[in-house]
Amino acid sequence: MERNEANILTLDGMEPEVRIETNALMNGSHAVIRSLIAEGVDTIFGYPGGAIMPVYDAIYDYQDQISHILVRHEQGAGHAAEGFARLSGKVGVCLVTSGPGATNLVTAVADAIIDSTPLVCVVGQVSKHLLGTDAFQETDVIGVTMPITKWNYQITSADEVPEIMAKAFYIAKSGRPGPVLIDITKNAQTEMMSKPFNYTFCHKLLGYHPRLIPKVDQIQKAADVINQAKKPFLVFGHGIKIAGAEKELLELIEKTGIPCASTLLGLSSVPVNHPLYAGWLGMHGNYSTNRLTNECDVLIGIGLRFDDRVTGDVTRYAKQAKVVHIEIDPAEIDKVVKAEAPVVGDAKEALKMLIPLLNVSAHDEWIAQFKALDAEEEACITVPELAPTTEKIKMAEVIRMLSDKTKGEAVIVADVGQHQMVTARYYEFKRNNSFITSGGLGTMGYALPAAFGAKVGDPSREVVAIIGDGCFQMTLQELGTIAQSGLPVKAIILNNNFLGMVRQWQQLFFEKRYSFVELQNPDFITIAKGFGIAGHTCAHRDNLSDSLDAMLSSDKPYLLEVLVEKEENVFPMVPSGACVSEIRLK
Amino acid sequence: MTTYTICVFTENSIGLLNKITIVFTRRRVNIESLTVSETERKGISRFTIVIKEESREKVEKMVRQIRKIVEVLAVFGYLNDEIAFNEIALFKVPTPAGAKRLDIETINKIYKAWVVYWGLDYVVIEKTGSEEDIFDFFNYIKPHGILEFVRSGRVAVSKSAKSLGDYLPEAEWEYYL
Repeated sequence: MERNEANILTLDGMEPEVRIETNALMNGSHAVIRSLIAEGVDTIFGYPGGAIMPVYDAIYDYQDQISHILVRHEQGAGHAAEGFARLSGKVGVCLVTSGPGATNLVTAVADAIIDSTPLVCVVGQVSKHLLGTDAFQETDVIGVTMPITKWNYQITSADEVPEIMAKAFYIAKSGRPGPVLIDITKNAQTEMMSKPFNYTFCHKLLGYHPRLIPKVDQIQKAADVINQAKKPFLVFGHGIKIAGAEKELLELIEKTGIPCASTLLGLSSVPVNHPLYAGWLGMHGNYSTNRLTNECDVLIGIGLRFDDRVTGDVTRYAKQAKVVHIEIDPAEIDKVVKAEAPVVGDAKEALKMLIPLLNVSAHDEWIAQFKALDAEEEACITVPELAPTTEKIKMAEVIRMLSDKTKGEAVIVADVGQHQMVTARYYEFKRNNSFITSGGLGTMGYALPAAFGAKVGDPSREVVAIIGDGCFQMTLQELGTIAQSGLPVKAIILNNNFLGMVRQWQQLFFEKRYSFVELQNPDFITIAKGFGIAGHTCAHRDNLSDSLDAMLSSDKPYLLEVLVEKEENVFPMVPSGACVSEIRLK
Repeated sequence: MTTYTICVFTENSIGLLNKITIVFTRRRVNIESLTVSETERKGISRFTIVIKEESREKVEKMVRQIRKIVEVLAVFGYLNDEIAFNEIALFKVPTPAGAKRLDIETINKIYKAWVVYWGLDYVVIEKTGSEEDIFDFFNYIKPHGILEFVRSGRVAVSKSAKSLGDYLPEAEWEYYL
């Protein structure tokens, strides 16, 4: 227990109190929209309904300042807001009605908390006098979302709106970002505020003090541990992207010569062709990175939470290594992996302090160990996957060709399953912040709406969604949203007529008892055409290049269906319950 | 199993009890007792939560997860020897005509318990002490029959010489890891 001067100084120094004052008297709904505008929100993803209609009536007056995108299902609004937030770095905003509107949003909120994505979800609620009476479309949304929001709050009077909205945005975007849900009763939307609308930005709360600047002694300890390492290994996650610490990360590895690897959500933070980039980690990560996790003497984790898909059997995970864990969320320290040198703070700030204390070094022999294992993986998996002799196309060759055609610079939004793992393996990311996927929650159906949201968040970038045939059918109605917006979102369905990842597990661990994993699919291209979106099916290897060209050159939304090998497996693989060094090549 | 007492200082807001208990529910930890009241500082509540748990590490992780809740100002986990603690129990004991008489002197002098209400054919006895003291008295009074028995749950203060103000100063709010 001690005072944390640096933190207090930063908080005070960085953001002095800023107020927007007006003489305008308005109702709660207008106050909601004015608050959003004050926070710089220019895009809302939403779906109207009874308990949120007053706010929708208010938006009508502000269409020149705020663009509302009408989705086709509230889950789509949530994922689109997530994609928007992940690519633009801004807070994603959703607006939905009470009851089913809110519960449809729940999956996306759960996804956002586990993947540290800043959202502010404004949800309508029945009038205050009806609360608790099982009124029409009443759900206890505060109760439902309590475990899956960073913060939630029920507004029951118009006067509360500006203060609570300011708090919501501050909590959503600061520290470890996450979703905030604001439940607003209908009476609070319709009643007039008792005083003019004033908006004071929130930058400080009584009990909530995310630490940006790490403690000096923690940094020194981390530096000491790293400087003594003979075989150091750096693993990084989503925290690098959130902090915008890609440049500092490169500086660190280049100064110290430490090989690094990425988690699924960290992908694209270091270009794949960087000599010190060893690959990615986890269940379907690379052979060398998993194997050598259990040989390094110092494991430096930055902005990651050591998910069980990364660690495998945690009782046999990097036990030989001293662990340095740099992480903004103190609850993640020692949660899964015990840290010898924990550093609580923002990744960028921590790296800026750490780099000057680190010795210039090189680890050629150690890196040669990675290269040797890489060669095994290359010969055993990568080469045959990329030059297959099968009649049907393989997922890997689609992804690698897409990677080549987009020069590794597109924003790739992968759904969940085999195609996600193949995308992470074979897309050669060369540009920062280029990979978006549902990592923690593994939400099938994420990619289509998230890719759309990402395109809205940065229309200047090429956005391609990689989707499985199973995933696509979970949120395909968002084709309607995409068509209505006209934004050139590109989507590839890798169609194997199977729930591929489950089928792979059934093959490997359940004696090929294929229990309900085969799909009789609709004609996806006809569906797309029904929504007014062009597309075509590629069934043969010879047409693959032309097919991708047709998709990429279109200036409109486009759906490409690729018929792929029905029963292919993703390798390498750390089987469930195994440790990382027991990773299988086949 | 070790008994841990977790003291949580929070803003006084609706729904917070739920936010805190979710942390225990998710890890399947049973709450043995729970008391909540306002502290010497207006608007700040104090939760005293008693759990039995084998793994100290698990308790530490829960403490950090409770600390993450936005309205939580500070959290402390204690072992029994780090706190002064007590609870109150009330016993409703029947005293019908002809029954064995209550030995008020023993109840007062040996068990330090007091009759706080005299009914027509029953009394209410208040006993303050540790869980053990209370169950000693429970066993003593049991032969008389017990109509109702209730315990308040533990209240505790740390044995350190610090005041709440040291942790939560008026002017500036500290960060606690």
